[in-house]
Amino acid sequence: MRKIILALGAWIVAITAAHSVLNVNWQVLMNDRLPEATRKLNVGYIPVT
Amino acid sequence: MFQGFPEIKEALMSNKMQAAFMVAPMAIALRAQGVPVKIVYLGHRYGSALVVQKDGPVHSVSDLRGRIIAIPSRFSDERLIVYRAFAANGMDAKKDARMVEMSPADVAGALAAKAIDAFSMGEPYPSQAEIVGFGRVLFHARQYWPDYISCVLVVRQDVIDRRPEAVQTLVDGIARSGLWLEEKDLARKHRLHAADFVGRFYYHQDPKMLRWALTNPIDRVKYEPLSPRRADFETIVNLMVATGVLDHSIPFEDFVDTRFAEGAHTMTAWKYEAGDDRAK
Repeated sequence: MRKIILALGAWIVAITAAHSVLNVNWQVLMNDRLPEATRKLNVGYIPVT
Repeated sequence: MFQGFPEIKEALMSNKMQAAFMVAPMAIALRAQGVPVKIVYLGHRYGSALVVQKDGPVHSVSDLRGRIIAIPSRFSDERLIVYRAFAANGMDAKKDARMVEMSPADVAGALAAKAIDAFSMGEPYPSQAEIVGFGRVLFHARQYWPDYISCVLVVRQDVIDRRPEAVQTLVDGIARSGLWLEEKDLARKHRLHAADFVGRFYYHQDPKMLRWALTNPIDRVKYEPLSPRRADFETIVNLMVATGVLDHSIPFEDFVDTRFAEGAHTMTAWKYEAGDDRAK
């Protein structure tokens, strides 16, 4: 039982770490928390002229 | 990056985006509806075309009578250019064309599947149709509209009021990029490099398509002059009113703020060549 719980825990940690590295845009998240004067502007576009 | 102009409009209105590139008539319509945004600069000039099926029956504008033409939005210059082309050929697009709104990314597949007869769209979709071989450019926007404008840079009014220096930095960067793409004797080299990094890192499209769009011919899309000019926008407003997507004319000053373009007048092209660490 202990082995199963440890394996499950390791799996959750690994998946969470992979998700946070691959799918979360930390630059954008951190930018949104900066004071307005230093925040980068978000500029929207579509891939067309 | 978004896949359609309506989503950009929503992101701008909800402050998820503080600035955005969008088709000029959409920006004008937003302002006419009271949305606090302003056009501060252009994204480019030209770069739109009407494309038909390569081996289809359409060989002239008059052959488009009654055919289905896809456009990116009712509020787009790509729709207005259809009106201009039809009028120049003695037709009225309101009666003689069947225009349907379609996300730019979907038009190539729709034309290849013959679900539409033509599309009026910005690059690189006309280039894609030519490269892949299912489409043929019937006309480029420049043929019916000198100094044609499509995408413009729109900024929220609260950002203009509170952070004008950030808006100026953004406009200066666009001005310098435009000059870099138009730099005498280096324009082709710079455009090929831009096609590569924009295709890979921004548009996530095959750079081959962008190379075609930016160099075939070299003035297929122009990046200078990008200052918003009164006469260009009055033409757009008049066409919007005449074609029923704007119920009243609005003055240039209500939807354009020219101070950032004026501030960018002294800008010079980026000093940047492929392999440099950074642009200066």
